Order: sequence, then C-alpha cells, then structure tokens
Amino acid sequence: MNSRDDAPVRTGRQLGLFSCHTCGRVSEAAGPVTEGLALHCPRCGTGLHHRNPRSLERAWAYTWAALLLYLPANALPVMSTVSVTGTVSHTILGGIHELWTAGDWGLALIVFIASVGVPIVKLVSIVMLLMTAGRQSRWCSRERATLYRWIEAVGHWSMLDVFVVVLLVGMIHFGPFAGVHPESGLLAFGAVVVLTILAASSFDPRLLWPDSDDNPQLSPRPPSHE
Amino acid sequence: MPLAPPSPLTDLDAQRASDAAAQPVLRARPGLVVCDECDAVHTRVPLSRGDVARCRRCGALLGRGHVVTASGQLAIALAALVFLLIGNLTPLVSLDLQGIRLTVTMPHAIALTWRIGQQLVAVLAACTALMFPAAMILLRLYVLGFLVAGQVPPRFRLAMRALRWCTYWSMVEVFMLSALVAIVRSAGIADLVPGAGLFGYAALTLLLTSITASGLHAMWKRADELGLQ
Repeated sequence: MNSRDDAPVRTGRQLGLFSCHTCGRVSEAAGPVTEGLALHCPRCGTGLHHRNPRSLERAWAYTWAALLLYLPANALPVMSTVSVTGTVSHTILGGIHELWTAGDWGLALIVFIASVGVPIVKLVSIVMLLMTAGRQSRWCSRERATLYRWIEAVGHWSMLDVFVVVLLVGMIHFGPFAGVHPESGLLAFGAVVVLTILAASSFDPRLLWPDSDDNPQLSPRPPSHE
Repeated sequence: MPLAPPSPLTDLDAQRASDAAAQPVLRARPGLVVCDECDAVHTRVPLSRGDVARCRRCGALLGRGHVVTASGQLAIALAALVFLLIGNLTPLVSLDLQGIRLTVTMPHAIALTWRIGQQLVAVLAACTALMFPAAMILLRLYVLGFLVAGQVPPRFRLAMRALRWCTYWSMVEVFMLSALVAIVRSAGIADLVPGAGLFGYAALTLLLTSITASGLHAMWKRADELGLQ
C-alpha cells in the first residue's frame, strides 16, 4: 500500500458517479443531476447522495445529547452492592479505583480505557470533526479521516461497563448476604454510548474533503503547463 | 358541471410519474470503485485471497480479496447458531457462596436487571448482546442458504438491510470481554467456576469476526448475477 499514485484524485461528484453505501453498486447518472432530486440505487433502492443530507445537523444533535448525559453518567452511581454490612453505591470512576486498589491493575486499565478514555476522546474528536467540517476546512484531511475511522471502530467498546453491571446483577444475588443492583447512572452511561455511536454514524466523512462544489472560494487548481 | 378537484391519490401518482421521468438513467459502472468515505474514484482491480484494497486519498477500506466463499460463510453461520444457543442456554459461570449455589445465563442476568427496575438497560443489553447477533446469524443463514442454492430469496432487499443494521449494532466481542471483567470482579465475593456458556460465547466471537470481515457487497453482487428482479 506504499505505492501512492500521483495522478490527481477525481471525485464521484465531479464525474457524476454515485457509490451505494448499502450494496456497493457504482452508478453513473446519464443526464445532469439536479440538486434536491432524490436518486435511488437501481439494485437495492438506497438513496444516493454525494453528501448525506443534513449530516452535520444530525451529528451535532446526537453529540449535544451525549455531552449533556455525560455528566449524570459519571456523577450518578451505576450500581450498588448489598452485603451484610450495608449498601454501597459505585460510580464508573469509583469502580475503577476499587479495581486499582485491589491490585487488579490490568483490569482497571481495560475498564478505564473502555469507560473513561474512549468516551472522552470520542466526544472531543467528534466535536473537532464537526467544527472543522462545518468550516469546510482542508486542514489535515487524511489525518482527520483516520481519526474518524478510529472513532467508528472503537465506539462499541464503551458498552463494556453496561454488560459488566448486567452480568454482575445476574451473578451476585445471594439474598441479603450479597447482591448487586443496577442504578440510574448506568442508563445515562448506556445512552451516552449509543448517542456517540449514532453521532459518528450520522457524520458523513466526505465532508472532510471539501471541493469547489462545497465552497466556491476553493476553486480547482489551475491546469499546470507542461 | 364543475370538475371534481383531483383526489390526493392521483396527485401523488402524478408526482411519482414526474419523479420517475426526472430521474436520470443510472448506468452501472462495475469497473469503478468510489470511496464511501471521501468520494475518490478508483479503477477496480481484481484482488486475490488476503489482499486488502485501500483508498489512495483517505486510506479507507475499499475491499478485500475473498477469504471465505459463500458456502464457507454458510457453514460458519450454522456453527455460529450452535454456539449462540450454547452461549445463551448453558451457564456462563456457576458461583458458590457459603453453600448457596447459583448458575447464571445471559437471559437470566437480563431478566433480573429488568425486574430490579432498569428496564431500558435490560433492553439495551438484550438487543446488542443477544437479539441482534441472533437476528444477524438467522438472516445470514436465510440469505446465504438461497444464494448458495442459486436462488434469490424472497424479500431479499429487506433481509439485507436488516442484516446490515443488526451487524452494525451487535456487540458480541464487547460482551465477551465484559464477561471476563465481571468474573474477575466477582471472584473475590464467591467461589466461581466458568461454564460452557462462556466458551460458547468465546467461539461465537471468533466465528462472527471471521464472517463479518467479508462484508455484504459480495452477497448483493451474487444476487444481482442471479437476476435480482
């Protein structure tokens, strides 16, 4: 993959080509494509667009919802443990601290990365991508595209703590001697995970590569004289 | 005699007809690949086994040389169904606390979470770790079964769209790691023995990773060749 062709990149929008995201069929519009006309893939029926409609608005809406819920997700307890000595509530960070002090450093690190690191990095990255895409920035497009792919790939892993609590609830129910109960922070945390996944999937990464159709000021490079 | 106003139905029909007329002909260009993530156009080259094609502008995955054939995928999906049943019907772990013995299955843990009062969390966990993986395996069996037999299954488009959605939202691999974390966290509270369900989920994780890597485009292409509508 080191051999990068030096020929200029032509885009689907310049050539009137559409790639279907569902089935992969590449379609070429025989006539001129009027803006706002709904085109559908002849093979699978999915809508065809050069840029997904309202992608930034939808991604911003999910991101704001996730940011708002991030606070209760971390401030409220996600579970409580019942034992003969009483009931103790645990937040996400509290649970990681307990693992750390108990000597399970590897496990503490895994849970920290999945439950704290990934959501924070993901939210900050999505906000950065949405802001730069909104300004039609051409800064570091390839690096931002890589960041986007990374966000898409790791988003699911934050669900780890949700599953852990559900499993602990199932595993530890010895009546009054030992029990684990889910608490409302878990719902907020699960919602943050789902909302960040939705935000990332509704963002159209093609917006990271603006061309002269997005912004007339970015006129195409003049033809070189060879 | 006054003319009756056009009914909304005929209006809609007229609109559809004009839309169809305005829709330009969309010719297939099988020799080209357009990157889904940056819109760069590439010439399609044949890939051999194990090859990975990436976009030269943004680095996105464009395609893989086929690792598993359709009948191989069918066999893997069938094995995945068996391991899904083992993973959910047999205990993930059994615990012992001062003579009280408990065995835990995934549906049981979800049902308890529901009863204790976090119904939405129970639904979220049930969907991503159980229902979507199950739906994904059954849809794959349905679609691949017909395709391998040389037929396009009824409601193929709907099944494929549902399959894509279920694949995106199924989180078996995350659940697998969660089970290990939960086991370590509860090991201090009770004596604990891993059960067959845990190994069922581990095998399921490996099998699903190997079939989802191929993507769904080859199945669409096959159906097209078999005369999809």
